[in-house]
Amino acid sequence: MIFVIDDDELMSRCIVRACRDHEVKEFSNAIDAMKALDEKMPNLVFLDILLDGPDGFALINEMASYTDTVKIPIVIVSSLDLEGKDLSPYGVIGILSKDSMVPEELLAYANKYD
Amino acid sequence: MESEVDGVLVAAHELKAPLAVIRQLAFSLDELAPQNEQIRSEMIQVSERAIKQVNDLAKVRRLEDGLFVMEPVSVRAVCDDVSRELIHLYGNEKKELSVKYSNRARLVTANHDLLYSVVYNFLLNAMHYSNDETKAELLVHDAREKVRIVVRDYGPALPVAIWRRIREGGLSEPTSIAMRSGSSGLGLYIASEFSRYMHGKLGAVRHRDGTSFFVELPVSKQASLFV
Repeated sequence: MIFVIDDDELMSRCIVRACRDHEVKEFSNAIDAMKALDEKMPNLVFLDILLDGPDGFALINEMASYTDTVKIPIVIVSSLDLEGKDLSPYGVIGILSKDSMVPEELLAYANKYD
Repeated sequence: MESEVDGVLVAAHELKAPLAVIRQLAFSLDELAPQNEQIRSEMIQVSERAIKQVNDLAKVRRLEDGLFVMEPVSVRAVCDDVSRELIHLYGNEKKELSVKYSNRARLVTANHDLLYSVVYNFLLNAMHYSNDETKAELLVHDAREKVRIVVRDYGPALPVAIWRRIREGGLSEPTSIAMRSGSSGLGLYIASEFSRYMHGKLGAVRHRDGTSFFVELPVSKQASLFV
């Protein structure tokens, strides 16, 4: 299963569509996503950074602080310029720019980790 | 003390979000009839161009922060990359793009991304304003210790008032180019601000049958020794 966390509903749906047949759960904020982690762990998280309430970095920090969530791979999907940033110590395996990403990139991550 | 919020940067971010969605929605349109593929392609291209302009506008606001590193940059490589990116758009508009290098392969002192945007904006303007069945020309040549990048179009000549303002030191704000309908002058303003940051000189030449815009950048003397 994959978590998609983005407060832009339309963008979230585009990401879900790109994941094709993978099971996906959508969240519009970090708090709901964190609660859902208590119930079932995803195999992959697509995470926006600028969210309503706590931002994506807060969620990354939270996930990195628990032994069971620290290993969940996270792909940041954001329009912020994060080029060249190494966030791998926090479980971030990739950064996609909303400005230039294509659906195939999202699907490749889904196929590899889910 | 509360930090000041830059309204333009906030607006830029707000504008980018729907543009990025439109671009993704276009990708989502699977199995279109062949005649609609062209529409999808244009949706993607238009949104990408708009995203780029919004990004550039945000960069203009950040120039004062000095975040853009100046380094030796290959003009030819930048021009090749930009023309490769835009050649399809030129094709869609049924216009030609000619690229000619007569400079030595020297490096200039610039910021790669800002220079890319300058050339991109020049070429986009040239495509927009060149008359049908004409071509735009990208020329790179040496000018003493500088390299000059020129983009020539074959459309309406630049109004004298704008030409004078450019000659007197660039544009301090977007300027509607009255004789060139549909222009906000945003691309030229961005090119002007980026050129100024890179210690380059932006200029324009009026022709009877069009306009040339150019930027001159200082040669990176040390780096050029190794080329």
